Amino acid sequence: MEQEPQKKNSVVPDPPAKPDPQGVPEEPVQVIRPEDEAIVVERLRELGYIE
Amino acid sequence: MQAKPNIILITADSLRANHLGCYGYPQPTSPHIDQLACQGVLFEKMFAPGIPTQPSHTTIFTGLHPVTHGVVAHGGRAKLARGTPFLAEMLLDEGYATCSVDTLFRERIWFGRGYEYLIDPSLHHLFYASVTQEELNERAFHWIKTVPKGPFFMFIHYWDVHYPYVPPERMRGLFYNGGNPTDRDNHALDEWWDHPVGAMARDTWLRTPSGLITDPNYVTALYDRELRYLDEGIAALEDTLEKQGMAEDTMIVLLADHGESMTDHRIFYDHYGLYDCTVRVPLIVRWPGGKLRTGSRIAPFRQLSDVMPTLLEAAGVQPPDDLDGGSFLKQLTGEEEPAGYDRVIGLESTWQAKYYLRNDRYKFILARQPDLLGNPDRELYDLETDPGEIHNIAAEEPKLAAEMETEVETWLAEKLEATGQTEDPVRKEGAVAVAIWEQHRV
Repeated sequence: MEQEPQKKNSVVPDPPAKPDPQGVPEEPVQVIRPEDEAIVVERLRELGYIE
Repeated sequence: MQAKPNIILITADSLRANHLGCYGYPQPTSPHIDQLACQGVLFEKMFAPGIPTQPSHTTIFTGLHPVTHGVVAHGGRAKLARGTPFLAEMLLDEGYATCSVDTLFRERIWFGRGYEYLIDPSLHHLFYASVTQEELNERAFHWIKTVPKGPFFMFIHYWDVHYPYVPPERMRGLFYNGGNPTDRDNHALDEWWDHPVGAMARDTWLRTPSGLITDPNYVTALYDRELRYLDEGIAALEDTLEKQGMAEDTMIVLLADHGESMTDHRIFYDHYGLYDCTVRVPLIVRWPGGKLRTGSRIAPFRQLSDVMPTLLEAAGVQPPDDLDGGSFLKQLTGEEEPAGYDRVIGLESTWQAKYYLRNDRYKFILARQPDLLGNPDRELYDLETDPGEIHNIAAEEPKLAAEMETEVETWLAEKLEATGQTEDPVRKEGAVAVAIWEQHRV
């Protein structure tokens, strides 16, 4: 059994700094089109995951 | 101060405990949830006795082990018996206003039991898990601000960290330390494409104009970005309660129905396999007016079947006598010292048909049928030396493996006898998703 008190009201940090884009490949842009979502539904329905 | 607290039960579907800062994750994925934990009580060893979503939520709302309530598979044949006491229904009977901001009732009707208000913004999406925390919160906040005249129970089911991982654009750049996400020479995910959920990911949310995402570190970063986005939603919920003057009287319970495997155990970005990354779940309770032992962490084993009796007790309602779970309310307040179970036994019957037994030192996994990954039907891990459950020592420790297997079978036989069942429900259902998939492949 363990009871470790922790500090209350800790300060919520700012979002982490984003990496310097220089020299780093561009991140891909995710685009979920309605037809993609339809594929997801169709495949999960085939698996019995959704009705 | 209200006589009975408001209760907001939050499920973050597929939220892996150790991707939260308060559970030791080194990346700042969850600053507001971490703060919630500092202001409340965190459970170190909370386990799901059944995975994935439908079995686990049935347990959360009934206080029963899946072997008892019978819903062992997601998409299985079993239905929850109508007479089974259900959390929302019991709170409604006690005068609570009840509201579910969720979609589960569309799949299995018992998840709608006891809710006067069923709000489902996922209707705006083809796939319900594409609904965002902002869409859920918008409706939830409107209800909180306008409807309850007394104590209320609200269930909010967030899907942000469930696949597909498509975080908002503003999260770009977070948690990925370089590399090429779409490197054609990276074949680390190739094995996943053979799994139907992996093939679906490849054909949809991992396909981008710059090419197919092939770097697992990038997919993990997408998961973490979704978590950071969810964390913002939790902060917005807290803010709303504060502004409505409800924070003091509102008990927030944040948990997950199951965790998520990243690439662990050759299970890619999904929630099957009875390893700790998937069966150990976060559970945090904050209730400013409840005189909780704030900032404390409860270490003994607990199970999600304990949630229903705990919430009933908090509401001043006597839990049913024959539950598998027990209330931990007095441990939250310090009236009782932290205590729990010596072991947890759980199961899955969706992508695999298996049981697990977890104690402080070991994990034993027993298969009822071969799995798709070719794993042996008995796995034993020494968690003290191998917390990642990598080295199966069942062959090296046959006596211990046999003892743990006997422990599982004895427990199961007793449970079946107590509930009037004659057949192991996991054998009966089998791995239902695999069976359905194989039918389609023929």
